[in-house]
Amino acid sequence: MRLIALSSGTYYHIESLEAPRYAAYFDQVLTPERLDEVRAENACIFVPCRSPAQRLIAQADQIGQYLAAGGTVVAMGESRSDLWLPGVTFHGRPTNWWWWLEPGADLGNRVTAPGHPLMAGIGKDDITWHLHGHFDTPEGADVLAEDAEGRTLFYIDEVSTPGRMIVTSLDPIYHHGSHFMPATTRFLDRFLPNLRAYLDG
Amino acid sequence: MLYLHCAFGDPPAPVRKTAAAGRIAIIPQAELDAARLAKAHGLVTGNQLDQEALLQLRQALEGFLDAGGRWFFNGHVVRPLIAELEPYQSMRNPKRPDFEQTRLAAHPIFKGIEIAQLETNHGVAGFYGRGANPMPAGAIAVTGLRNGTVPVDWVWHRPGGGRFFSHAGNDLGQAGREWDLPPILYARIFDWTNGGPCLCV
Repeated sequence: MRLIALSSGTYYHIESLEAPRYAAYFDQVLTPERLDEVRAENACIFVPCRSPAQRLIAQADQIGQYLAAGGTVVAMGESRSDLWLPGVTFHGRPTNWWWWLEPGADLGNRVTAPGHPLMAGIGKDDITWHLHGHFDTPEGADVLAEDAEGRTLFYIDEVSTPGRMIVTSLDPIYHHGSHFMPATTRFLDRFLPNLRAYLDG
Repeated sequence: MLYLHCAFGDPPAPVRKTAAAGRIAIIPQAELDAARLAKAHGLVTGNQLDQEALLQLRQALEGFLDAGGRWFFNGHVVRPLIAELEPYQSMRNPKRPDFEQTRLAAHPIFKGIEIAQLETNHGVAGFYGRGANPMPAGAIAVTGLRNGTVPVDWVWHRPGGGRFFSHAGNDLGQAGREWDLPPILYARIFDWTNGGPCLCV
């Protein structure tokens, strides 16, 4: 299956999607406005973290048609996927960048489906940097990771549409592309090959 | 004077206030074209800038500078937006002392602001910047990391005309929030971009 990233041309998108570390995982990089070139058969759309949401909202109808035709969308964090994907309810929260300063602090994120192929090799430390919010879990969706309060951070929804939505509030592309926060790079080192294998499996 | 709005949602309050006072025009990046640039004398861009799209206006950007325009740039350069710009370089294996800042030149934007107010956020260093956009020949380093050797801020009186200020981090106007600096920093950024005092001759 082809993995097609929608780049908004920000420095962190360009660094994460084009630099040698991850470039080979993506078959094509397009702007959100070129989404109409993607056919649902045999393709997965990857929306990287911190994409300016207005550019995806403008494509919401197109994304809906793509899902209705059986397409797969991966929506990473801080891109307000609740505003352009069907059936997504997001609860944002102020970001605590300093939680780790307290001795013995634990953000509390955990992988809830360690056996899922998307989470192979990904442990608690690889999804721990900070939180931006959580989702209501759509009925029938599979939860892959949750926060300390058991709220959903990462899920797969193959129920709400004929397609598949892989949705998270984690934002590793932004931080990796900013050369900031090693856990985000560890996460992507595992998640992107897992995603390729999962899509091709 | 143009503030290029790329992110989702409203611009920060000091930017909206300056626009309401008629000093700047906030325009979505999609509305920027060569004709608009030709009429402007100042440009402020943020860290969610679509560099791929702006690269298409390179000739107009160079014309804007040739005519004496000033450009305040926030973020990492990853596209040759004008001829002399080179890709951002992050510090290799930075440690805590590498994030300590050195004031290398007395620029009006930072007048009276203690380095300590910009260096850390809730006591944590690294938010301000973690590398530098390489300086063109003749540029003057303003703020240095890693014992002053990494010019996270610099200003350049372009030989062909115009001036360019580079801040290689998140938007400078948003720095020092725990000290209520954003209104001061934005005011000074706009003053400089509008033709205000500059350390360059």
